[in-house]
Order: sequence, then structure tokens, then C-alpha cells
Amino acid sequence: MAISEGRSGRGALLPLRISQLAGSRGGSLAIFVGKRILWMVPIVFFVILITFVLMHLAPGSPWDRTGGRQLSQAVMNNLNIKYGLDKPETEQFKLYVWNVIHFDFGLSYQYEGKSVVTLIGGGWPYTATIGFLAFLLIVPVGISLGVVAALRQNTRVDYITMGFATFAASFPNFVIGALMVVVFSVVLYKATDGNFFLPSADFGLDSHLIMPVITLSLLPIAYTARLTRASTLDTIRQDFVRTAWAKGLPERLVVIRHILKNSLIPVVTTLGPTFAFLVTGSVIVETVFNIPGIGRAFVVAVSSRDYPMILGTTVLFSVIIAVANLVVDVAYVFIDPRVRLT
Amino acid sequence: MHSRLTIRRALSLATAGVFLVGCGGGGSTSANPAPPDKQILRVNDRTEPNSYDPTQQTYSYEAGVGRQVFEALLKPKADGSDVQAAAAKSYDISSDGLTYTFHLQPNAKWSDGKPVTASDWVYGYQHLLNPALAAGYVDPYFDSVIAGATHWGDFSSKSSVKDIDGFVSGLGLSAPDPSTFVIKLDHPAGYFKWVVTLWLAAPIRKDVVEQAAGGAFPSNDPTKALMWANNAATIIGNGVFKISEIAPKDHVTLVPNPYYWGGPAKLQQVIEYFIEDGNTAYSKYQTGALDMIGVPLADVTVVRGDPKLSKQANLYPRLGTWWMVANAQRPPLDNPKVRMAFAKSIDRNSLVNNVLHGVGTPTLSYIPKGMAGYDESNKVQSFDPAAAKKLLADAGVTAADLNKFKLLTRNTTGNKTINQFIVDQWNTNLGLNIQLDVVDSKTTTSRYLRKGDFDLYGPDGWGADYPDQQDWFDNYTTGACHSLNWGCAKLDGFDELVKKADAGVDQAQRNKDYAAAHKIMIDQAAIGMLYQDAEYDLIQPWVANVKSTAIDDQFLVGSFYWHDVYITTH
Repeated sequence: MAISEGRSGRGALLPLRISQLAGSRGGSLAIFVGKRILWMVPIVFFVILITFVLMHLAPGSPWDRTGGRQLSQAVMNNLNIKYGLDKPETEQFKLYVWNVIHFDFGLSYQYEGKSVVTLIGGGWPYTATIGFLAFLLIVPVGISLGVVAALRQNTRVDYITMGFATFAASFPNFVIGALMVVVFSVVLYKATDGNFFLPSADFGLDSHLIMPVITLSLLPIAYTARLTRASTLDTIRQDFVRTAWAKGLPERLVVIRHILKNSLIPVVTTLGPTFAFLVTGSVIVETVFNIPGIGRAFVVAVSSRDYPMILGTTVLFSVIIAVANLVVDVAYVFIDPRVRLT
Repeated sequence: MHSRLTIRRALSLATAGVFLVGCGGGGSTSANPAPPDKQILRVNDRTEPNSYDPTQQTYSYEAGVGRQVFEALLKPKADGSDVQAAAAKSYDISSDGLTYTFHLQPNAKWSDGKPVTASDWVYGYQHLLNPALAAGYVDPYFDSVIAGATHWGDFSSKSSVKDIDGFVSGLGLSAPDPSTFVIKLDHPAGYFKWVVTLWLAAPIRKDVVEQAAGGAFPSNDPTKALMWANNAATIIGNGVFKISEIAPKDHVTLVPNPYYWGGPAKLQQVIEYFIEDGNTAYSKYQTGALDMIGVPLADVTVVRGDPKLSKQANLYPRLGTWWMVANAQRPPLDNPKVRMAFAKSIDRNSLVNNVLHGVGTPTLSYIPKGMAGYDESNKVQSFDPAAAKKLLADAGVTAADLNKFKLLTRNTTGNKTINQFIVDQWNTNLGLNIQLDVVDSKTTTSRYLRKGDFDLYGPDGWGADYPDQQDWFDNYTTGACHSLNWGCAKLDGFDELVKKADAGVDQAQRNKDYAAAHKIMIDQAAIGMLYQDAEYDLIQPWVANVKSTAIDDQFLVGSFYWHDVYITTH
């Protein structure tokens, strides 16, 4: 590995080619992204470590039943041997990490003979689709509601918009989901051919998406709207906005170029985690609409102590959250010229 | 709460009143069968089976699929009084009670058309009993009784191929000719005919298993032997239906096995959905998108008051009972009088009417109504607060002695609701101040119950795997202490009676011995009885010829007899 001369600090450890790029803005961005991606390795390692320790500290074995016939000790012994749980925990940990390096996330305890990769691969597309669509809904709707409310502060528009946001934020989504099911699927089912909005079972990427996506996005829309409103109000009072008005710029330009661009920083900061939260699934939405996603699978895995499944989903979630945060940090560069990634 | 009761329920049932026949909804539709493309039954099996290999299955929702795709040697008679022919057309028991000879149905065929032979049965039982595969219900049902199987627990996937082969080939299983399957027992067991009714004891196709595994594999391999069950195309069964499609976590679609020995089923499709939220299933039922559901407890009153739905709903008694447990190893709960005081201070009628909305029946009998052994004459645990208080006084126990105790409660809505009622009954009727201790369900089992580290616990329940009392009394022997017998009450003479009755062949004598054992456990208040289980289910009026039993798979009414169910024009 060549080391570029005259450079000190972290850049010195990087290969020459990238270091040379570091002079330009694109180059520093590439280095930033590269470093952050490398950082994900220790992050994932510690996530595995902490999850592993907590998981094994939690009382209850994967073979305990929640009621009725318990498995006999002989059966549990054989299951422990079958899944390697008879080995010391340090050895189990080393083995798991070794397997993860080889992209082997093991077999689920709960679903006989199914690998964690198969189970997550089967469920995540549903979760991710719903989460992604919800995100596509949240960004324009949440931001425009916030901006409109701020520009029309203390008018009826503001009150209605913020009233809606408060309403959406205070109703838990299991109430909203269940309510929508009752209204659209049961009461109005004839009007909608009895099937259009139906939740659960035969879940497909079609009209079934409408209700879960709305349910999932209501709270983040409310949150985004309020945040945008607060941030916009802040920006409106800045000198440069006053200057822009004074220059006689049309409203559209003032709002988009001067107000919006500067109000978005805090909003973008929250959109990253929001995106991660959305695409990792909501237990409640997946349960109410019977979506075979991984949000629910994760909770089931925890309550049934399905260790490989818990670890596999946690690793996936941590990678998604790390990537989402990285994307947010990169997005700053394009939104706010003051931000430098060094 | 329902899901707590059994893990799996098996066959059953019994005498008058409990066995209901032909509850096909009860609407005004015609009796004319709908055209074949409408012969679709849509039900809710709640949870996807953890495995589609029947030998690996243990839960009721697994039996909900396994029972349709595989058929056991025998099945219970409609009235539950005895077994009847299923995959075996008849069976003989040797005079020493040690050899069971099953004569297989001559026309039995797999869903791919090949004949089912006795060697398929030998392979199926060997597969079930292979210690490397660690099947959940091998112990105690099979390993305790089949010749050569009692050392099952000494082997595992760590054992050598030679040891596993030796164990498996040493089992008392043989196929003297293609239509005769013989099982030799370790010791006489009058209940063994019921054990072979369990859906998980099925024939398995060796060629299918090996092909899916990519060829022959070592017998101590814990996963290869189960790969065949991961793919609908390779799940070849001998049952009424076969699997045509598995949509993970969403549904399975069953279609008739065209080669079933009793002729193909009338239904052209059974779709079993996996909808875990009872309210979601209830919504779907109301739109006509499901044909059969269990009514969520919160909606029972609504359904009762609805002119249309109430006609489609029925109460189905189950062979299951619920009770409270006191830790008899923790003084003063070791004193039967103290335990009896707790048992006698619960108003069961109020529990069933107000908390369970009538979905259940108050009972004082451990053995449920509907099978041999039900005892309604022993009223020693009946509700009587004055007598309960007197028992405490007689035992010299004060409120202060008992107020330190907590009622261990699993953290589910059903359990919390019931236990709030129970603890209120105890506190009001006995002048106590006992608190609930609500704990995560798995932690309850592993951290507290298995270690005997609790004061009071409940509701605990059991659902019959088959209508023989052995399935019930074995749970309260000394050997079951800290495994199912959580309270570990000392019951003099109980173990001997149960052991004798389990081994007995004369049914009348067995019943007598079990009755004596039942009296001991109730009189000593080893458990404080609460109620007999029931299901309140909705069935659409167009589902015809549903024959329910009291051990149907949960919320799958008539699941033993779906062969004859059909859909009427509507």
C-alpha cells in the first residue's frame, strides 16, 4: 500500500489513489463514504456482541413453551446439541462471528430447516416496500404541510394543518389501522367490491398496500410537518429572507430557494432515522394488516428466543440504520454549502 | 389465552353432549353443493407450522396442516369411546399386550400415486424416533413405550452413525409383509392404541427424503433428513389433502389427494391462512373472505347480540380444563387445607360468565366432561368462602402468612384478566392482600416454574391429545414434578395407581384406578379447578357437513372430518 508523502493524519493511511482525490470535493466525499463504510464493520461487530450477550442473559430457552405440554429434558438436550447450544457461549459467539464473515447467518430454531437468510429474504421485501412507499408519501406531504402552515402562521390553514398533525401523532397506529380496517374493509366492503382494501392474507403488492402505507406514514408525516413548520418559521425571520423579499423576488423563488433549502437541514436529519425505522418494519402495522414482513418476525423471534433469527435481523437493522445515517450526512453537502465532510 | 392451552390437541372425544354433529352454520342456504370451482374452504390456522415434516410438529396450528396431509394408523371414533380405522383398516393386540399388528388399508396410496407400504411406516416411525432429529413429542409418547426406544435420550446428533443406526434398527418396528406393520412394546400399555392416533406418527417416503437431501446421508445428520419438508412439491403425504402451495407466513393451499384410499375429498381447495390477530380474522370473516374463525373474546358479546352473526356462531366444548396451582413445596402451601382454602374461595360461575363471557363451563373435575374419568360427583372444591376461611383457621394460618405470596402470571391479556379476577376473589373471600407478579411467558416457564420458584401460579391448563386418561394423569406423578406438575403436591398412593392404570389392559379396571387417583389429587387440592375449555366459533352458512369433535385443531372446526365437508350454492 503506497503512502502519499507530506500528508499526515488519517488520510496517510489511505491508498494513494484515494488520497490524491482528497484534494477535490468529490474526493473528500469518497474518502468520507469509504471510511464510514469501513466503520460499519466494528459497528456490526459490537451490535452482534451486545445482542448476543443480552439474548443469552434473557431468561428462557428457545425450547420452553408458553403453556401446555413442555418438551421433556431429553428432547431439549438433543435440540441443544443439534443447534450447538451445548457448547460454551464464548465458543458459540466465535462460531457465529466466523459464520457471519462467510455470510452464513445460520438456521432458525423456530422454523425447522429454514435459514435466517431465507426467512429474512422472504419477509423483508414486503416490509421494505411498505416502508419505502410510506417514505415517498411522508417527504412531500409532511414537508409541504409544514411549509404551508409556517407561511400562513396563525391562520385557519395553520390551525387545520397542525390540528391534523396533532391528531395523527396522538392516535396510536393500532387504533388507526384497526379503524381503517373496520371502515374500509367491513362497513364499506360492498362499495369496494369486498376485496379492494382487504387486509391480511393473499397479501400482494397492489391495493393491499394502501391502508398499511397510510397507517405507517401518519405519525412521521405529523412529525415531519411540525418540524418543518418550526424550522421554516425560524428561517423566515432570517435577514437573508428579508433581503430576498426586499429585492422583490417572487414568492415561489423566496420559498423554494431561500426558505425551504435552509429549513430542511433539521428535517433531513430526522428523515434518515425515519427511513430506517420505516423499512425495518412496524410490528403493529404488520400484525393488524397481516403482512408477512420482518418487523413482526423480529418480535416473534425475540419472544420465542430464536437466537439466529434475532441476530440476523439485528445485523440487518444496524446496517440499514448506519447506511441511512450515512446518506443523511452526504445529503447535507448538497443541501447546505456550509457543511464540509472532513 | 386459548393459544396457551394446548400446544396441540389430538383426537378425541367422548360421550353424550360433547360430540356435536353437523353444525354447518345454520343459515338459509340450499343444501345443493356449489360447482367444483366454488368448493373452497377458507380457514384461519393462525400461525405457519414451524415444520411441514409431521414428525417434527407439536403445536395445534401445526396439526392443523399435518393432520390433513398425513394420516395416522388409527383415529378416534366419533363418540370418542374407542379408536377406529384410518390408515390401518384393523389391528390386533397379542395376548401379552406387547405386540400391536396393524393391517394397512389395501388401497392406500401416496399423493403421487405410489402405494403406501409397511416399510414406509417403519421408515416414518424410525424417522420420528431418530434421536439426531430431536422430534419434540417423541418423549414421552413414543420412547417410553416402544421396545428398544427407552434409551432415546442417551443419543443425539453427536452420536456416531453406528450408534444411531444401532438404536434405530433395534426399535420394535417391523414390516413382515407390505401390508402389515408391527410395533413391539417395551411393556404392556393399555393406552398405546391412542398413541398411534397422533398425527405426527406418520409414514414417510425414504426415496423422497433422500432425493431432497441430495442422496443418502449419515443417520446422525440433524438437518438433511428434514429438507424434503421445505418444498410443497416434495411434501408427499398419505392424507386426505396434499399441499399445492406454501406462501410463507401467509397461507398454505391444500388440494385433494386424488389417490386417497377413501376417495378424493369433496372440497377442491382448503386455504389455511396464518392470521395471528384475531380481530383481523374477524374482520375478514365479516366480509365473507373467511369461512370459519374463532371469535375473539372481546367480540363475543357483540356476536351474541348480532341477529345475523349469532346464528352462525356456536359454542364448542373442548377436552381441556384449567386450574390454579399452589407450590406445595413452600409452607404453608404444603398443607392441603391451605390449598383447599384457595380452591374453595373462587366463584367459578362468575369467572366463566363475567370474565370469559360464557366461553367455558365451570368445573370441579380435572378430567373434562366428554371423556372417561369425568367426575362431577366430587364437590369438595366447590365455592364456599365460609368453609374456606374455616380451613385456614383450622390449619392455623393467618392472612399475614399468606400475604407475602404472589400470583405468578404470564404476561398475556387473557392470563392477566383471569388472574386479576382470581386474586380479587382470594383477597375478598379470604381477607388477604395477595398481588399479581406478571412475567414474560418464557421466563415464567424457565426461570420460575421449572425451578419450583413461585408461590401461586395459573391459570394452568391441559388439552387432551387423545381421550385416554393416561394423557392426563401422567402429568401429576412425582416424576413430572417441575416439568408439568409445577406444584409438586405430595399425593400418597397416586403414582402407584397411575402406573398400574397406564399399564392395564382391562379398561374397566383402568377407569377404576384412574378414578381413585383423581379423587386423591382433587381431595388434596394438588390443583384448584376453574373451568372446562370451549371455543366460540363462527362458520359461514354455506359450509356444509361439518362434524366437530372436542379435540379438533384450534379454530378448525371438524378438522378430523374435512374429507366430507362441502360448500353449498350461495
